[in-house]
Amino acid sequence: MATGQRPPHRVMLVREWDSQTSGSGCCGRLGGEHCDVGHPDTFAHSRPLMEAMGAIYRALRRELPRERVEITVVDPRNMVWLIPTILRDGHRRGLRGGELWRQVNAGVRNGAIVVDGVALFAHDYPDEDAAVDAVLRELAAASA
Amino acid sequence: MPAVVVFVAVMVIFALAYRYYSVYLAERVYALDPDFVTPAHEFEDGVDYVPTNRHVLFGHHFTSVAGAAPIVGPAIAVVWGWVPALLWIVMGTVFAAGVHDTGSLVVSVRNKATNIGTLAQTVINPRSRNLFLAIIFFLLTLVNAVFAIVIGTLFDANPEAVIPIFVEIPLAIFIGQYIHRTNTGALVPSLVGVAVLYALIAVGIAFPIDISGIAEAMGMSARTLWIIILFIYTWIASRIPVWVLLQPRDYINSHQLFIALTVIFLGVLIGMDAMAAPAFNPVEGPRNWFPFLFVTIACGAVSGFHSLVSSGTTSKQLDRDTDARYVGYMGALGEGSLALGAVLATTAGIAVVGVDWGAQYADFATASDTALGNFVQGVAGFASNIGIPISYGTAFAAVVVVSFAATTLDTGVRLQRYIIQEIGEIVGSRPLSRNLNLSTTLAVLLPLGLALAPAGENDTLAFGRLWTLFGTTNQLTAGLALAVIAVFVTQARRNAMAQIVPLTFLLFMTVWALIINLREFVTNRDWLLAPLDLAILMLAGWLIVEAVVAIRNARTEAREVTAPADRS
Repeated sequence: MATGQRPPHRVMLVREWDSQTSGSGCCGRLGGEHCDVGHPDTFAHSRPLMEAMGAIYRALRRELPRERVEITVVDPRNMVWLIPTILRDGHRRGLRGGELWRQVNAGVRNGAIVVDGVALFAHDYPDEDAAVDAVLRELAAASA
Repeated sequence: MPAVVVFVAVMVIFALAYRYYSVYLAERVYALDPDFVTPAHEFEDGVDYVPTNRHVLFGHHFTSVAGAAPIVGPAIAVVWGWVPALLWIVMGTVFAAGVHDTGSLVVSVRNKATNIGTLAQTVINPRSRNLFLAIIFFLLTLVNAVFAIVIGTLFDANPEAVIPIFVEIPLAIFIGQYIHRTNTGALVPSLVGVAVLYALIAVGIAFPIDISGIAEAMGMSARTLWIIILFIYTWIASRIPVWVLLQPRDYINSHQLFIALTVIFLGVLIGMDAMAAPAFNPVEGPRNWFPFLFVTIACGAVSGFHSLVSSGTTSKQLDRDTDARYVGYMGALGEGSLALGAVLATTAGIAVVGVDWGAQYADFATASDTALGNFVQGVAGFASNIGIPISYGTAFAAVVVVSFAATTLDTGVRLQRYIIQEIGEIVGSRPLSRNLNLSTTLAVLLPLGLALAPAGENDTLAFGRLWTLFGTTNQLTAGLALAVIAVFVTQARRNAMAQIVPLTFLLFMTVWALIINLREFVTNRDWLLAPLDLAILMLAGWLIVEAVVAIRNARTEAREVTAPADRS
């Protein structure tokens, strides 16, 4: 794939990055794992979902070629990027109006998986095997 | 001159800097390599190490580095006129912050995403880790002191902001619990949270909370009482898990950052307001613009804390080595843009609401005392250009600044507690390292003492003096990072002047400002700030020695490596 050219499909794993602190300026992104300043356990509550999504990420990476599918991990607080991207991807899939809004609302949830603008697992905690199967099915539908 | 001309001119300079200087840095200084396997790929696990779309990463990075500090410094520094403040913001952002932020990211990426404190230990020498900890200790103490004063000042001057800010605490907790328990998306709840917060401004205007009567009965000023209340709150807030308050409030803050930037710049573009401040303003007294401008504006021109952010999780998410230019340099430009907004608000925006600039900026002491109020009034002026009533705009701006400052205060006290515990471990003090109540109390009492310290005859000078001390510690953090980057570049046998020039400049200005401060503190028999200043000055001396030795050794090594090749 040429540099700068985006793969045709996008999978977004939405979950909080530990130690992300918006608007704190001088004390932003401190504490947590592998950090010089602060305690490693500060963001321990974020780790279970990070680990679970990590397993899904690795499984998807094994299944999906990089040149065909971009897999992006996004913090749900990054709405300035997240919302337009879901809207753009969903619009490209033919979603409009209320349905598009529903995908946006579900897609910004901590733990959501979004495949080409369609949000999966909007109301439950993603299991690795189920998540991979669902993503593959959705990608097949998007390619059809 | 219309403010919009200044805005466009700075944006053009930033665009040119990104187009040309950042390319020079990327290609000739850091030699960014599109084929280099970044830690995000080398250790790819989907948890901490994740190759991330550069636009996504920029969002993560920029929202972490932006805050209240690039607002406060410029709002004070325009006392010397808008041209010196703007020149330092532009030159500092382009030639110091861009180099520093990009460099921290690159050095970390090239060292398996190691943090800057650990890098100082490995790249310079093991002593540098203790130097880093000492600088951070003083930095956090001063951060907590100045931001408590920032909030106390705003509550005293803007009692209409008290209700929204205090309701934001249970509101954030409720949003966090709601999202957690119902497992729904954060978008609607957080947007509702922002809407409720801004709706409460109307309630705050109707019912301003003025505690001056209570404070008077207790024999203190309202600001002093607010500072005490804030530290009691912070003692509690720093003890509760971050997911209860800090992280849910993050959702509200991330919206507020972009709303505030939009209001300021839209107001500038629509209003076409003229600059009301003089281009240059000679100031009487010991605090001349040379060197104090360069420590009054730290964040917004160059901020050492960005090295901690760059070398933290950002370096673990960098997809391609060449993305460092976009994420690092653009992040610096974003922070510079926030500082530009503060300059425009305090030099053009305040004229819209009829504030007499000359009276507000009569001297450094008055400027440091009125700076935040001026920024708030200035934003209200810009907001009025887009149809927002001035009374509402004033409270809105106060709420935004307090929200950011409160987050910094919560995080800062929490971090200081950990630093005190770590120092306790180093010196072998079990109570200090193990007793949470003791370490938290110390983390609160140190900045509280500084914030409430009497400032002699001129009480309004207290904040300005603390703020410039905070600036010196932030510049020392930047200096340490620039020294690490300079050694890295020298070891790679490339020209490190892009780092050495800002490093030398920053250290020279910082030391000079510290010496002037020290002379004044000793003359005034200020036995609280004089030792503090002296301690920071000693850290600066230590840093200079370590930086000179490390860079010289790196040059010698580079020559020894090159020499055999030259002879062959």
